Amino acid sequence: MIEVLSGGTWSTIQDRGRPGWERLGVSPGGPADWFAAAAANALVGNDPDAALLECTLIGPTLRFGRGAMVALMGGETATSENGIAFPVAAGAELKIGRVQRGLRTYLAVRGGIAVPRVMGSRALCQLGQFGGGFGRPLQAGDQLPIGNAPTPPSPQGGGRFSQRLPLVGPWEVRAMAGPQGDAFGTDDFARFLNTAFRVTPRADRMGMRLQASGLRLHPVEILTTPVTQGAVQVTPSGEAIVLLAEHQTTGGYPVIATVISADWPLLGQARPGDTIHFREASLAEAQRARGRLDSWLRK
Amino acid sequence: MRRIVPAGDRALLIVFGDTMSPETLADVLTFEAALRRVKPHGLIGTVPAYASLLCTYDPDVISGPALERQLRALAAPQRKRLPQAVHEVPVRYEGPDLARVAQHAGLSVADVVSTHAATEYLVYAIGFAPGFTYCGILPEVLATPRLPSPRTRVEPGSVGIAGRQTGMYAVASPGGWNIIGRTDTVLFDPRRRPPARFRPGDRLRFVPA
Repeated sequence: MIEVLSGGTWSTIQDRGRPGWERLGVSPGGPADWFAAAAANALVGNDPDAALLECTLIGPTLRFGRGAMVALMGGETATSENGIAFPVAAGAELKIGRVQRGLRTYLAVRGGIAVPRVMGSRALCQLGQFGGGFGRPLQAGDQLPIGNAPTPPSPQGGGRFSQRLPLVGPWEVRAMAGPQGDAFGTDDFARFLNTAFRVTPRADRMGMRLQASGLRLHPVEILTTPVTQGAVQVTPSGEAIVLLAEHQTTGGYPVIATVISADWPLLGQARPGDTIHFREASLAEAQRARGRLDSWLRK
Repeated sequence: MRRIVPAGDRALLIVFGDTMSPETLADVLTFEAALRRVKPHGLIGTVPAYASLLCTYDPDVISGPALERQLRALAAPQRKRLPQAVHEVPVRYEGPDLARVAQHAGLSVADVVSTHAATEYLVYAIGFAPGFTYCGILPEVLATPRLPSPRTRVEPGSVGIAGRQTGMYAVASPGGWNIIGRTDTVLFDPRRRPPARFRPGDRLRFVPA
């Protein structure tokens, strides 16, 4: 068991989520930075689907009931080294502390966090208040069971992970033209690509509101339609909302662009006040970018 | 008339029209049923809503263009009839926005209730949040714009109105719909199979309780 001594700002249990349940309004969920989460699991020799902790801004403080191999990956903290597996002794405390570069860091424990699966996943479903062990972010007093390590552990277990994605802005993220292009004016997409957006404080795992001074888009309203992670919605007032892992499953605002999955990790690390530029990508470019990250994880 | 467009590098959106109508919904659901029978390798899930259907896929198994070819090749099936059974949903009409809806409609509260309960609705989507049930088509006289600023918390079971839609919140969430009542019907339970009480294409009627 791992005892939670303090929960931190917003620490949740995540695995690869619940893809396939969107038709019932359930978000796929999963880590906001899937790459860092997958790398953390690889470092401790876990299967890619093992549950781990996503720690936002200030991480939790934990006491380990038994010795365990752990790894942190993603946003960088002052207290523990990032990108390398290290042992925590039985009875020892691990204080994650404040994420100083980036926004979210991932703590993987060899064997995974073995809370029960709900609708096929251990990840927290924030809106539904289920999964994630407790149906909510971690709080002091929570007990986290550690699962059995896969035998044999995957080969990279215990190693060091050298491939990194950027952790601080300004961000350039690649996006494909959105499915509701015809709800916009003819040069709106080009103007969108030429605009610097600022991340507002209204940002969480569901989505981030972005602001741009000088850009005025006035899309027509559309009939409610399914939406995806990475979708950039434009509201009637011209504000943009980019959807993250825990996104709503349908929306009534037209989507001008969809951030490619290889760049979702960047969105997961962007902080309020950061600047985001969107650059157009083709489907082929999106697939190449994704394949590159996947190959780093296989090494 | 179907249009297929990419929604990023892991999903395709099929658009069947741009209006809320029983015929278009039947087209969406007929196509979805046919697709789920074929089960293309690499298809992860389908999400129907009003006039469109999202198909999510695993690009390690099937490429976007290959899935798109399969979708185009799927013979346009004969439009299925939607289920005829009408589900009854008991509602206590005592929501905080009943007076606002009545004022907007120029009706008494009693007339709002009887008009809302006299109409048979179709479920057009389960979306936004777990189990949220979008229904239509609301009689024009009751159509009311969303609240000027959304509530931070709407209780589960709340029955609301937004434009020509009426709907039910299954879980507590923020929301901008005009809340006119509350049902005790459990709309979503992650441990039940299926977890959602209703699905697109269901017919339902609200009964004052």
